[in-house]
Amino acid sequence: MKNKVLIIIAAVIFALGIVGSIFVINSPKTDTVVIKRDDKILYTIDLRTATDRTFDIEFRGSVNTVEIKDGRIRVKEADCPDKVCVKTGWLSSSAIPIVCLPNHLVIEFKENAEVDAVAK
Amino acid sequence: MKARRIAELGVLTAAALIIFIIESFIPYPFPIPGIKLGLANIITVYAVYRYRAYEVAAILFVRIILGSVFSGNITAMIYSLSGGVLCLAGMLLLRKVIDEYHLWLASIFGAVLHNTGQIIAAVIILQTPAIIAYYPFLIVAGCLSGAFTGLCAQIVVKRFKKTPS
Repeated sequence: MKNKVLIIIAAVIFALGIVGSIFVINSPKTDTVVIKRDDKILYTIDLRTATDRTFDIEFRGSVNTVEIKDGRIRVKEADCPDKVCVKTGWLSSSAIPIVCLPNHLVIEFKENAEVDAVAK
Repeated sequence: MKARRIAELGVLTAAALIIFIIESFIPYPFPIPGIKLGLANIITVYAVYRYRAYEVAAILFVRIILGSVFSGNITAMIYSLSGGVLCLAGMLLLRKVIDEYHLWLASIFGAVLHNTGQIIAAVIILQTPAIIAYYPFLIVAGCLSGAFTGLCAQIVVKRFKKTPS
């Protein structure tokens, strides 16, 4: 009896996870991207007007190479051990930021695009 | 008796460490940090159902700390530790409720708690609440990997039943 209740709870958690994942994948994206470290904004980039380029962001001797191309942004190379940020690929959902945990780097879409003018 | 116990804990920790290191060589295609099978937790789950609370804690924390040192990924240690603490606390409570024939169930809850701890640590360290967006994916992955490691641990528990201790 106790086990049945717990199995149902586990099933509900699993179902909520799937629903949440679908919600995250479908969340809309904006045109403004921010690159942050520990809640400090390093760059604000408007992808509509940004020129194609690559640049390095350094942190305690580690480097993330960020690429902007055709109005998209990604981490092209990184010298951290897990390379999760590189594997994330192009930034595509406002709910899934590109994250480099070792280098404390976060690249995400900005919720409200009122800072467009500050870009670059 | 005491020495035997210590030897057993040492063997279990060593086994967990070996599994952990070998698993770290498996490349994962997922773009989300924190998603993995967590095969070393087969040992943790087994230990939860066979050893005292502090003994399980010793196995888990020695494995996490040495594992991070050996794999050269010290940042991961913070996430593993916060996940490990929550997972361990939850499973030690659950073992009173869930019998060992439903070990896989306890393992699922443990995995989800582990992911919860990781997310909390990530939000605090990175000061970025957006990381929570990973949470649903981690839950789905945690349920699946938790069930898998739990089933493996269940087999181990069954096999070791006959050995006197």
